[in-house]
Amino acid sequence: MEPAKMASPKSAPKDAQVMAQILKDMGITEYEPRVINQMLDGCVPKGYVTTILEDAKIYSSHAKKSSVDADDVRLAIQCRTDQSFTSPPPRDFLLDIARQKNQTPLPLIKPYSGPRLPPDRYCLTAPNYRLKSLQKKVSSSAGRITVPRLSVGAVSSRPSTPTLGTPSAQAVSVSAKVGTPVSLTGQRFTVQIPSSQATVKAATPTTPTVQNVLINPSLIGPKNILITTNMVSSQNTSGDPNPLKRKHEDDDDYDNL
Amino acid sequence: VVVEDQPDVSAVLSAYNQQGDPTLYEEYYSGLKHFIECSLDCHRAELSQLFYPLFVHMYLELVYNQHESEAKSFFERFHGDQECYYQDDLRVLSSLTKKEHMKGNETMLDFRTSKFVLRISRDSYQLLKRHLQEKQNNQIWNIVQEHLYIDIFDGMPRSKQQIDAMVGSLAGEAKREANKAKVFFGLLKEPEFDVPLDDEDEEGENEEGKPKKKKPKKDSAGSKSKKQDPNAPPQNRIPLPELKDSDKLDKIMNVKEAARRVRLGPDCLPSICFYTFLNAYQGLTAVDITDDSSMIVGGFADSTVRVWSVTPKKLRSVKTAADLSLIDKESDDVLERIMDEKTASELKILYGHSGPVYGTSFSPDRNYLLSCSEDGTVRLWSLQTFTCLVGYKGHNYPVWDTQFSPYGYYFVSGGHDRVARLWATDHYQPLRIFAGHLADVTCTRFHPNSNYIATGSADRTVRLWDVLNGNCVRIFTGHKGPIHSLAFSPNGRFLATGATDGRVLLWDIGHGLMVGELKGHTDTIYALRFSRDGEILASGSMDNTVRLWDAVKAFEDLETDDFTTATGHINLPENSQDLLLGTYMTKSTPVVHLHFTRRNLLLAAGAYSSQ
Repeated sequence: MEPAKMASPKSAPKDAQVMAQILKDMGITEYEPRVINQMLDGCVPKGYVTTILEDAKIYSSHAKKSSVDADDVRLAIQCRTDQSFTSPPPRDFLLDIARQKNQTPLPLIKPYSGPRLPPDRYCLTAPNYRLKSLQKKVSSSAGRITVPRLSVGAVSSRPSTPTLGTPSAQAVSVSAKVGTPVSLTGQRFTVQIPSSQATVKAATPTTPTVQNVLINPSLIGPKNILITTNMVSSQNTSGDPNPLKRKHEDDDDYDNL
Repeated sequence: VVVEDQPDVSAVLSAYNQQGDPTLYEEYYSGLKHFIECSLDCHRAELSQLFYPLFVHMYLELVYNQHESEAKSFFERFHGDQECYYQDDLRVLSSLTKKEHMKGNETMLDFRTSKFVLRISRDSYQLLKRHLQEKQNNQIWNIVQEHLYIDIFDGMPRSKQQIDAMVGSLAGEAKREANKAKVFFGLLKEPEFDVPLDDEDEEGENEEGKPKKKKPKKDSAGSKSKKQDPNAPPQNRIPLPELKDSDKLDKIMNVKEAARRVRLGPDCLPSICFYTFLNAYQGLTAVDITDDSSMIVGGFADSTVRVWSVTPKKLRSVKTAADLSLIDKESDDVLERIMDEKTASELKILYGHSGPVYGTSFSPDRNYLLSCSEDGTVRLWSLQTFTCLVGYKGHNYPVWDTQFSPYGYYFVSGGHDRVARLWATDHYQPLRIFAGHLADVTCTRFHPNSNYIATGSADRTVRLWDVLNGNCVRIFTGHKGPIHSLAFSPNGRFLATGATDGRVLLWDIGHGLMVGELKGHTDTIYALRFSRDGEILASGSMDNTVRLWDAVKAFEDLETDDFTTATGHINLPENSQDLLLGTYMTKSTPVVHLHFTRRNLLLAAGAYSSQ
């Protein structure tokens, strides 16, 4: 980008000329041409001035004066700068807080404490999303989550094999490769949904695409299908729910059902 | 304990008590000017130091008390007399014509409420005092006493050249007592290791070092002297994190690399490898390189932080929690197995800041990365997951620089709010606040022993702060522009500073004196680095060059009996040309960062600018 020494006075609009003159007065001789545009947009003299004058009009009418005078404008400027342009704290304040902070001795460092980070609520490590379809977390096999309206097809017929559409974590359908046709009347499902991390692989045609699906045949009947899957949180490394551990040996039995 | 200049609160709060008649300010000033210009040559240089602070203070008083027309004519009449290196200040002053203008300018307010320090020999001072105490000069004498602090020394009056080398800051010079506190500039003892000899492929074993058939080589750097270095701080002066196993391995690797290090000197200059950032469109604002030279990070004006791998080994993030639970934790290569191959890439981009990133710093153990930005925060990133872990809020204004301590855990940041802050990664608030600068803190660096922090500022001073209690233990003046680079020598005794004035100044920390001035660069010096054993100082500048200076010679030529801290200065030799070992031009690429590898290869970085 070529630096311009001065905006060409003839072709530039009046505002730009004024801006160029301001830059020159402040001693800035080399700048890119688009600086002028940026300054006109950013500190838009028109917008700023109209705002101040409007405020000044309000103040002067409040003071029941017939016209706006310098004091009104001064007050308007002062109020605006207090709002929008703050400046760093004054020196005596800084020296004061510095004295307070520097009096406390440096804290001792606990040995062998893993990554040294502030308490979790001051960190950015927590998941900043919540999965919509999940109501409660599964804590054990006994606990069940009712997933309302998880459509698995018509009530009385054998469930059609819905494909796993997008690998979106929420839209998990179960391809029930259960051998016997199962009536789904009055089914209650518990589905624990894998997180958005790509543990849900793209739909492979043959195998169930939901990982670690446990279908306990003893529980399959006309009544309930109990399905639990892994809840894998991508960010939380702490506090994995029990099902995760439990899945390990069950996987071998029930994968690729 | 050095007590900082406490502004007299009552003087600030009360309406400024009129020092004489404002309409007569021009007469007071010109009267003094006449006296100084007629004084003897030997005194004139010293007494001329009064011009600038008096001019600024008197002008600010006129503005503050709303004598606008007097202020304007005062400025017109005398601003041309001032030294050339104060031109930037004068330009700022010329736009400060009303009291309201001063309100938002913290630097000018601080200036008004602090005393400008002048160092004058006793003879010159007597001359001045005699003149000012004459009855007709009473007003100007009051003004002098109000705004100036004259630090008198016994000795020869200084020449203009000597004075020019050391003045230039907004606060004047440093009082001698400001530089008298004891500073522990020595290095901390490194733990001893037995390093297995010579074999290239042999991994560093544990620190007992199975000798096998070869005699283990002791780490010579650590075991130099059994007795405590009197200039080194006690090991536990400040709490430091313990060494983890990975740190010990790293240190062993360091020692092995050190054995193969090239000995640099005037006859053996380092090779320089330059990393040019292309297509950065002037957006590259910060660069850092890890100590083992394996990764390079760039902070950009578009608020991204980009990490590249310098070696052929790609950057990988760790696997997800699910996958991690599947691996065998007992296997030897567990550190390899936790890495997710699918994420391997040469470049990782970190998003999170909402403003240009002005400073970046790798942690010594290469697990973390810091970045500071115009958005007022300092962010800690994990280099294992390449995600942001913490945002440290405290400066509410742009943060210009940040650096990890050489031992990790602590880091320092400095910004627009004129303070530097010391943080620990596990505290969300700073541990120390270093307040005292009159203007933005532009550069912050740890001393190699992590007990002190150097800060360079836009008020043209460099200050050294004690981490233990937050006190300012050294003030170094001499630069004529904001300081943008600082480098401690590896032995901890010296500090090199670079600023927009193109000069590199060398300081002896123990004695608190300027011991060298390296002239040659023609533009801002953004990068300074000593070689691994301190033999060479490399400087990189906006003038597209890298210069190498002979550090050994710069520091050894000093006669110790010149270090009479009674006067507070020594005679600087004019030896820049002798010390300059080489100048290396780049193709229109300003040099933003310099780094010596463990074997003393010099790496440099900058963004190509097509002008």
